[in-house]
Amino acid sequence: MVLAASPGDDIFNNARRYLEEDKIRSALQNATDFGASYAEVRLVSVTDSSVATRDGQLERAIPGQEVGATMRVLADGAWGVHSTTDIESIPSQVESTVRLAKAVAQRRSSKDKPVSLAEVPIIEDSVHWRPEKDVRETELSEKLEHLKVLYENSKEDKKIASVICGWHDEHIHTEFMSSEGMNRVWSFQRSLINATVTARDGSDVVSYRTRHGGEGGLELIEQCDLAELGNYAKTSAIRLLKAERSPSGKLPLVADRDLTGVYIHEALGHPCEADLVAAGDSCLDGKLGQKIGNDIVTVVDDPTIRGGYGAHPIDDEGLDTKEKCLIKNGILTDYLNHRESAHHFGIEPNAGARAQDGLHHPLVRMSNTLIMGGTHNDLDELIEDIDYGVYACGSRGGQVDTGRGSFQFAAQEAWLIENGSITTPLKDVSVSGLTLQILKDVDGLTTDSRLAAPGFCGKGQTVPVGDGGPIMRIKEALVG
Amino acid sequence: MLPDDALDRLIEGSKKVAELCRENKVKQWEIIATQSYGHQLDIEAGKISLAAGGGDGGYGIRVVEDGKFGYAYLVDVKSAENAIQQALSIARISPSIKGFDLPSNQETKEVKGLFDKRILSVGPEDLLKQADSILDEVKSLDKRAVVTGGGLGVSATAGVLTSSEGIEHHGITTSHGIGVQVSIDENEQLTSSWQGESSKQLIDEIPNCVANSVEWAQKTRDPIKVDNGAEDLPVLMTSEGLGSLFSTVIPSAIRGERLSRMESFWSGKQGENVMAKDLSLIDNAIMEGGISSSSRDAEGVPTRRQIVVDSGKLVGSLWSTRDSAKLVAEGKIEHATSTGSASRRGHQSPPVTSCSNLELISSSKSSSMDELLQRMDSGYIVNSVMGAHTANPTSGDFSVTTSSILRVEDGEVIGAIKQAGLSGNMAKALSRDVFLGDDIRVSGGSMHIPDILLMQALRVNPI
Repeated sequence: MVLAASPGDDIFNNARRYLEEDKIRSALQNATDFGASYAEVRLVSVTDSSVATRDGQLERAIPGQEVGATMRVLADGAWGVHSTTDIESIPSQVESTVRLAKAVAQRRSSKDKPVSLAEVPIIEDSVHWRPEKDVRETELSEKLEHLKVLYENSKEDKKIASVICGWHDEHIHTEFMSSEGMNRVWSFQRSLINATVTARDGSDVVSYRTRHGGEGGLELIEQCDLAELGNYAKTSAIRLLKAERSPSGKLPLVADRDLTGVYIHEALGHPCEADLVAAGDSCLDGKLGQKIGNDIVTVVDDPTIRGGYGAHPIDDEGLDTKEKCLIKNGILTDYLNHRESAHHFGIEPNAGARAQDGLHHPLVRMSNTLIMGGTHNDLDELIEDIDYGVYACGSRGGQVDTGRGSFQFAAQEAWLIENGSITTPLKDVSVSGLTLQILKDVDGLTTDSRLAAPGFCGKGQTVPVGDGGPIMRIKEALVG
Repeated sequence: MLPDDALDRLIEGSKKVAELCRENKVKQWEIIATQSYGHQLDIEAGKISLAAGGGDGGYGIRVVEDGKFGYAYLVDVKSAENAIQQALSIARISPSIKGFDLPSNQETKEVKGLFDKRILSVGPEDLLKQADSILDEVKSLDKRAVVTGGGLGVSATAGVLTSSEGIEHHGITTSHGIGVQVSIDENEQLTSSWQGESSKQLIDEIPNCVANSVEWAQKTRDPIKVDNGAEDLPVLMTSEGLGSLFSTVIPSAIRGERLSRMESFWSGKQGENVMAKDLSLIDNAIMEGGISSSSRDAEGVPTRRQIVVDSGKLVGSLWSTRDSAKLVAEGKIEHATSTGSASRRGHQSPPVTSCSNLELISSSKSSSMDELLQRMDSGYIVNSVMGAHTANPTSGDFSVTTSSILRVEDGEVIGAIKQAGLSGNMAKALSRDVFLGDDIRVSGGSMHIPDILLMQALRVNPI
């Protein structure tokens, strides 16, 4: 039944916990006694609030709390998993979950490598990333005030048909205990504000979406110039009404930092996920140490960048997060990994395990992924020698086929580049290509690399991510 | 799988929350309670990589006072008092919608095929055997083929909906899903295809999606070079290829709220032709065994089979109770009432308007694949696209990529293309010459569509 233990009153101070440590310790010992080589319990409590306004009026406000826990056991080299909102039931599920793992193991052939985990330091502690302004103490009226500023600056034009504004904040509290003796508690917050502006002119209707947010509390929203954000969304939506259809073909492409971030996330980040590499579903299999990109391409994934939407202090296997350099001057230097894939490849674990929530098991995931800056001073320098190309901005998302190494991402707005100048606005521009080709075709980067708008990444589970980089030039990409 | 007393405990919990609503003198309230349980297997690199089980659930409370609503959700009935107070405080500052009341209780007919008792007794061992059969089947179809991703799972969900207006609805539904990504990696050439199938009933045989995945991983090997550049040509989208694009663009366009607010590419076109004259679009929430079928919608209104586009003309739209009251109150539309089209994303979400099982049918005679290819003459067949979620539901425009595409010349498939861009406008493509295949399948979640030959409005740009 859906009954969780009572929440602690002061999560930051760790005065009380959801998991009863003695019972969980005993359950983990039982797992070992039943034959598990490893067992863990990870509980996540999310206290969140969503608010939406439509044309300035409150549409819905939803406060809530979810608590879920996942027990993972490794027995005979295979995983068994049990997830539940009934936290108290976990000890009673140990035996059946070990049996599950053993049943999976029995189906492995002698050729199959049993799952093993890379060694990691065993830590008992609490880590709390405190925001300057705790979102749980933010009144609904204050959230509505911020949404109003965004709305007021998005709506002022007769062609604007509607403005939908949204808010989401969450406090994430995690408890992690393992049969190895790991016992960690961590917490942090995320805040997000967004708007979707729809413009209409006769039968032409378009929309533009804008977002701001990251890891942190109310201060992130207060620091944002919401008036400028709203005004830009309005201007872009109106501009899209008159935008022309994109040319199709292989063209020079210049991408703003939003799109650069999505590009590197899709084209490189996913194929670098070691669980996919180990499963034979990555074009980067066997390419560690090899040159796969232009010399100017250096890429990092860094969950420790405070304020990034993908930031988190500890990964979902209880490891301290850290910066991972995936490509250094064009050479593939590392995969993102979790303990299983680190052991599989014989590489250092780098804390890349993330789960959507307490009811999902961890996968190898990105966090904040960036291309580092180059040598060009600004956009003008990047486009000055392009006769005919496309400058694409803002992301409508992307997708990748990691095995084939092909990817696609879509821009929110774009312009033609003609004779070194930005000219005609374009709409519905998408870019596709092959990872192993296009990384070599990056031939210009501005100096200033930073995270762009927050995003979400799907891989069966959805997690918040930060992507970004500098303004980037690709000498030839398939634009459609 | 699902505890025997799951439904009873949800009913009991809902009664407790209802009692608290009455004690707090809430004028109108609605409680949704769900509890799901299931088993799941993941497959990677040709083997079962993980077995999982478990369940989740919770309660959602919607309160309505004088046309204002508030919502809160919780996992523990013990915190219901706090949730009710939160919902009430939100309702007090929400705008009042004239004429918005929670729906009253109306009689419904049971929709058959949403529960299969056999699924309740499926255990992990049964799923493991089914996974073994699927892996064996793939190998028997092609020794080179490997299931590189996917999995299978069963679940049962108990649900209760109770309201101050006399609605007391409860039941258990079941589901069974299988999805596989099959890859063939040989001679430094990797091709793959993902296909899946889900049902409210036990899938006790190996579904067609397994063989189809193998077939498309085979069909797309040894690509040919097409140097024609971008071309506006007919495209035959298989049901699987169209499903993800169709489900991104069309359901949003037929929501009454978006139509009335001029946010749909079909806004202002009620009674006008929006599709080819032989096409009809039906939202069928009472389809027997439909993935999105139910006898009541997410706020208890009886569901129905509703014609949205009839012989090319836009004749309907989808509404929930609040949306219809709001748009009438705002003067955006003269008259609207719920069409039983409210849905939720679990207990965390208040009802929103959405489609159920969307059927695209034609009054013209359907065609076999060969007949469609003859009619096409020259063009492409597309079986899956990347980036369907980047399609623009407001305009219907899309620009996606496909690696599952075949070139057709003179009515014959002459080979696969390694990768191509595919762009166009869904609304325009469906309004021109369209020819439907004779095998309606479920894709894109709950889109019931056959293979479709779109003669115009699409552009293909092969790499």
